[in-house]
Amino acid sequence: MEKMTRVSTINGRTMFCHLDAPANAISVCRDATQVVVAGRNIFKIYGLEEDGFVERLNLRVGRKPSLNFSCADVMWHQMEENLLATAATNGAVVTWNLSRPCRNKQEQLFTEHKRTVNKVCFHPTEVNMLLSGSQDGFMKCFDLRKKESVSTFSGQSESVRDVQFSMKDYFTFAASFENGNVQLWDIRRPDRYERMFTAHTGPVFCCDWHPEDRGWLATGGRDKMVKVWDMSTNRVKEIYCVQTFASVARVKWRPERRYHLATCSMMVDHNIYVWDVRRPFIPFATFEEHKDVTTGIVWRHQHDPYFLLSGSKDSTLYQHMFKDASRPVDRANPEGLCFGLFGDLAFAAKESLMSAPASAGDVGRKTYPGGDRRYPIFFFKKPDVTEQFAQVSSALSVFESEADSSAGMDWFINTAQSYLLSGKPFAELCEHNAHVAKSLNRPQESTTWTMLRIMFSEPANPSLSTNHNLNKSGNLPLVNSFSMKEMSGALNERNKENRQDNIHSLETNLNNNDENEETEGSEGQAEYLFVDDELDDDELYSMEHDNQPAEESEYLLPQEAFPLRHEIMDHPSAPEPLQEKQESPHVSGSEAESMCLTPMESFSLISVSQQLFSPHLPPKFFCPIVKEMLCYYAEQGDVQMAVSVLIVLGDRIRKEIDELMQEHWYMSYIDLLQRFELWNVSNEVIKLSTCGAIMCLNQASTTLHINCSNCKRPMSNKGWICDRCHQCASVCAVCHHVVKGLFVWCQGCSHGGHLEHVMEWLKQSKHCPAGCGHLCEYT
Amino acid sequence: MFVAKSIAADHKDLIHDVSYDFHGRRMATCSSDQSVKVWDKGDDGEWHCTASWKTHSGSVWRVTWAHPEFGQVLASCSFDRTAAVWEEIVGESNDKQRGQSHWIKRTTLVDSRTSVTDVKFAPKHMGLMLTTCSADGVVRIYEAPDVMNLSQWSLQHEISCKLACSCISWNPSSSRAHPPMIAVGGDDSNGAYSGKVQIHEYNENTRKYAKAETLMTVTDPVHDIAFAPNLGRSFHVLAIATKDVRIFKLLPLRRESANSSGPTKFEVQVMAQFDSHNSQVWRVSWNITSTLLASSGDDGCVRLWKANYMDNWKCTGILRGDGSPVNGSSGPSAALSAVGVPGAAQMIVGAATAGRKKAQLMPG
Repeated sequence: MEKMTRVSTINGRTMFCHLDAPANAISVCRDATQVVVAGRNIFKIYGLEEDGFVERLNLRVGRKPSLNFSCADVMWHQMEENLLATAATNGAVVTWNLSRPCRNKQEQLFTEHKRTVNKVCFHPTEVNMLLSGSQDGFMKCFDLRKKESVSTFSGQSESVRDVQFSMKDYFTFAASFENGNVQLWDIRRPDRYERMFTAHTGPVFCCDWHPEDRGWLATGGRDKMVKVWDMSTNRVKEIYCVQTFASVARVKWRPERRYHLATCSMMVDHNIYVWDVRRPFIPFATFEEHKDVTTGIVWRHQHDPYFLLSGSKDSTLYQHMFKDASRPVDRANPEGLCFGLFGDLAFAAKESLMSAPASAGDVGRKTYPGGDRRYPIFFFKKPDVTEQFAQVSSALSVFESEADSSAGMDWFINTAQSYLLSGKPFAELCEHNAHVAKSLNRPQESTTWTMLRIMFSEPANPSLSTNHNLNKSGNLPLVNSFSMKEMSGALNERNKENRQDNIHSLETNLNNNDENEETEGSEGQAEYLFVDDELDDDELYSMEHDNQPAEESEYLLPQEAFPLRHEIMDHPSAPEPLQEKQESPHVSGSEAESMCLTPMESFSLISVSQQLFSPHLPPKFFCPIVKEMLCYYAEQGDVQMAVSVLIVLGDRIRKEIDELMQEHWYMSYIDLLQRFELWNVSNEVIKLSTCGAIMCLNQASTTLHINCSNCKRPMSNKGWICDRCHQCASVCAVCHHVVKGLFVWCQGCSHGGHLEHVMEWLKQSKHCPAGCGHLCEYT
Repeated sequence: MFVAKSIAADHKDLIHDVSYDFHGRRMATCSSDQSVKVWDKGDDGEWHCTASWKTHSGSVWRVTWAHPEFGQVLASCSFDRTAAVWEEIVGESNDKQRGQSHWIKRTTLVDSRTSVTDVKFAPKHMGLMLTTCSADGVVRIYEAPDVMNLSQWSLQHEISCKLACSCISWNPSSSRAHPPMIAVGGDDSNGAYSGKVQIHEYNENTRKYAKAETLMTVTDPVHDIAFAPNLGRSFHVLAIATKDVRIFKLLPLRRESANSSGPTKFEVQVMAQFDSHNSQVWRVSWNITSTLLASSGDDGCVRLWKANYMDNWKCTGILRGDGSPVNGSSGPSAALSAVGVPGAAQMIVGAATAGRKKAQLMPG
């Protein structure tokens, strides 16, 4: 009986019109040119024009319309284009004939149901057969040629929410119930249902037969699920389940798209979703126009998948165009990426992206080289949108940074653990830290430490401040070369004014530099340099850099070196050795630098003659530079260096730096240390810090409530002696000595002792070492 | 140097987010299949799935960890218009033996009328606070007044952004000089001429968040946004994933008077902009020292970016999840050798292993 051929073309656009009242249901006529809207206070027919809805007919006539006009459902006959049926809220089933000449088009009235009729349904091929389902729990079949129902079906369960004739089986219809059941009936056998199964927990509000697949029935319920059942087998089988996020009021299979169905909800959610049942988690398309609950959805034409009509409680009637639908998938992020603490990188991506070549071409075939056995091969001929949509998965991988890579964080942990921040004379701390930094391949930091040592060492204590390198080759000029970019900024600033009148000397300096280039390989000289061949181990930098910056740095070198000297010249004792130094061919060690310095480190070279400074220059002289340097480290993300230097220098520098900034550095460093679970280091830093806000970190938020191990009553005073039994409370239960330091105790029996003693004891015995019989737990 | 390990995630739909915890030993993934999985790194260095449960009735867009001080707590947000807070329960159950841990829902935040697109915990020093943003342009800030009670969250702020929000990022700075600040990105494809990134800042006087800045130069849909870990800097660095990768530097300008109530003014500088993904960029992520930025795009690659001493940002590595070599990579460091174990996806990316010699060959 399939008379419909593919509709030639439906033209139109997304459009809407205002209704006078909220709609309860809508239905289209067979040729898709008109739509009927029914509700409690509305019953109208609209024509679907290309550019809008046009009201054709108001079926609600009379001054005081009877309750028969108050419709819960409406259906337009799909064979007879003048025939409509409505389900009235008063329990009446009404048919309407549009060809009647008078204004009142009502044709027949069946008042057999006792309560609201929820649903009416015409037989798809039989002209005169009408089915109704009511709140009273009965379904009735009417022959429109007769005045009464021809048969009554009793569901024996609760209210009927939906009835639907099968599209393919002439005699079969499905009914859904408020108690979660779905029943299949044979129209010829009103005594007993053919099959019954529980489809949902809670009411099943709707069902819809698949237009092509004989046995497929979609049901939607209050449990927010849409389920697709295969009825063709002996046992009813759930083949798909779509989880939506509001109770499902209507479900309609999409024409010409085997796996698609549209749903709308009866509360909370006003949107209409089109799902691909194979990908049940995310809607294929969404229509978001309605402002209130959508009550009726219908595809405009049986064979056109692109037009959807909907009516809503917000008193609008919409025609949705599929091309205007929003596609949640397009906005969904196909990738996840996260850096881990140790420099590892977790990456999840849609598989088709991962395997697709840069030119995103034949994605579909590449992704499934073996072909997916679930679907026939022809699906892969042309990977169209819907097929691509249905088959997705993500691959998850973790890129773990190797131990020595630049992305890894081992250097941080090692540095944090090995640095000495207190407990030794200043110079030794610096030397130790310089050594640590050097052994971790961090020459810049190493140099900084060495420099700090030289700058701030007490003049009275020259032995400590003497460089061991110098001792090794004492006969050579006492020159230390430092490469410190961070100094450049400060120095540049300070000396801009000096530069003008110093151009001349600058030039000579440049010349000197050139000479240095020529006098290659002054053996022994390299020993003086703190910068050495290991510098280039910072791989990332070395590969980024090229010759250009190296040259630049050479050029800059004298600029920076010079002004410092200029200032020194003010100093009474400075000039002579300085002069000597300028003449020296080894002044800056630039040959070594051009060999091995990375731009990072070699941005500037400052030559400092140690002998010059130590006796005369007050450490204060360096404070601005050091401050600049600390800020530089902080801005580079190396807050570890900033804080370590801050602590080691202590009062020497503290006053120079903004209190707030110091606190910020401390906080950041402590946070980092705690991330790496370096609790001891973090504690030490907190202890050594001088900021009030930091120091109190250790004093807050921990309260210990302890019981006396002797009398087991709470200890109220702070001392070691319990004021109730006047015994010493913190005695080790194993060795019976008073515990100082790490004390561990059982929260059950209050006995405890030295950590290692208790650990050892509990290896052998489960019972409390004090002999109280308690089964102590040590975790 | 990176070694790629592929993990059989076994999610039934797309994975939308991965997130490491504070200590980097746990990982959470979330997917459109409405579930969240938690992965723990075993002593053998392998990742084991220790929990997998259905979290929402829609796609789960994002998952994020709270600071461990508040317990083992996750937050997730979903297409189903809710965000949820989950806590791991340590107890003696049968699950333990199977290596599974148990997560229970502590709260559902249902204020949004549209899809909740991102969820983030505020920096720890602000207390236990959670922020969500939704597609209808509202950023919501919740606070748990009692950190021991994760089921009670009060809505503290609602910021209307007039932007289809897709991502948020807290400024992680703990400095008292930096008031709490949040960056919001939008992925509206309409209204192409308005800025898609907004910066909102908390004002101590009005006790409200106010818009401090709109990055007008970002007009394409923004998919991800990330402040770099602050680590004692005086300025802020913000990475943005849009049709390209962008890095912005926000320099707070000194206020004229201390008691001026207006929001901080920023000097906004573009530090870098890369379109080497040649496609939409979906994710950006900073390493902990904020020296490395990773980005991933529709080309299926992860690219690593690093600044040199001059603040010049350059690509230092390209990673592919499936181990296939990257063709025509423009970055200087595409030294890539695939160790051919098909399926196992073993790969080593030699980002600049060759050192100096290599550097000589590289174009400036």
